[in-house]
Amino acid sequence: MSAQPRTPGLALALALAALLVAGCAAPEKTRYGDAKSVETLTNQFGSTDLQMIAESMTRSMLQAPVIVSGNLPIVTVQEVRNKTSEYIDTRSITDTIRSELQKGGKVRFAVDAVGMSPQIDEIKRQQGEYYAREQAVEKGQMVGAQYRMEGNITSIVKQVKDTKDVYYKFNLQLWNIRNGLLEWSDEKEIRKTTTRG
Amino acid sequence: MRWTIAALLVAALAGCSSTPKGFEIPGQAFGCPTGDAKVSSMDDLVKLKVMSEGRRTTIQPTEMRCSRSGDLLKIDANLNNDSSTVKRIAYKFRWIDREGMRAWEEENWKPLLMYENSNLVINTVSPTNRAADFRLILRSQE
Repeated sequence: MSAQPRTPGLALALALAALLVAGCAAPEKTRYGDAKSVETLTNQFGSTDLQMIAESMTRSMLQAPVIVSGNLPIVTVQEVRNKTSEYIDTRSITDTIRSELQKGGKVRFAVDAVGMSPQIDEIKRQQGEYYAREQAVEKGQMVGAQYRMEGNITSIVKQVKDTKDVYYKFNLQLWNIRNGLLEWSDEKEIRKTTTRG
Repeated sequence: MRWTIAALLVAALAGCSSTPKGFEIPGQAFGCPTGDAKVSSMDDLVKLKVMSEGRRTTIQPTEMRCSRSGDLLKIDANLNNDSSTVKRIAYKFRWIDREGMRAWEEENWKPLLMYENSNLVINTVSPTNRAADFRLILRSQE
């Protein structure tokens, strides 16, 4: 025996309530936006911060003497340490910096520590019995970097009542691998303040 | 005769000193590329190089200067807020090659806070040596 509402009045009320709930739910609307616009949804690290840091660092590095000399220096990307209290994909920042520099044609990049494993795997694979010997890459032909790029991002967060202030400092350095000299370094500071009400 | 030569020398020197600075190279003004455009003052240069997109802002550059950093174009723009309120704007540069095409993809908008009655210099360098010209684009973030 199925559970039926005892009176037609109750059934009608339930149906009306269901309709009301369905009607109250706001219809979803999805639109494409401008990926380059200023994003201020929250004061957490966002797309505008990433873009500003990457652009600022790239343009500054393009003026470094080792790059202006025009010898197409070979750089490897090392870690950007995240010393903030929030999760930031620092690899995404260095990826953008690397793309911008590579497109500018002033710098070449050597495989970094993260890319080393797939690089070796591919060399080993090509040296297997399934590949033509004359076309397979040889071991010991990779070119080492002359410079390594590393950095860190720190933040200071302060909150008083309804005001939250976040200060980010991104520092990037270019080190000469041969002699250990710091060839270039620059910083980008960002301050964001959110007030409620 | 001696007086004539002396007068001619003075006139030549006066002529040299009255040559406006920044107009020495054809197709450039204050070091910035101008192409065939007629630029005879800083205002002309600002009008040529500055554009507005989106909401208009009252912030305007008062001075722009360009130089070379290796084979890249280096730009300084002095922005002025002569109002008595803090202004928030966003800006970006657009890079143009010798053929008038885009030399680089569109930059991201960079937010900027300008205190009341203040000046601020924004500077940049072109991302590629293909960039032969530029535009500074401003919009209000109020």
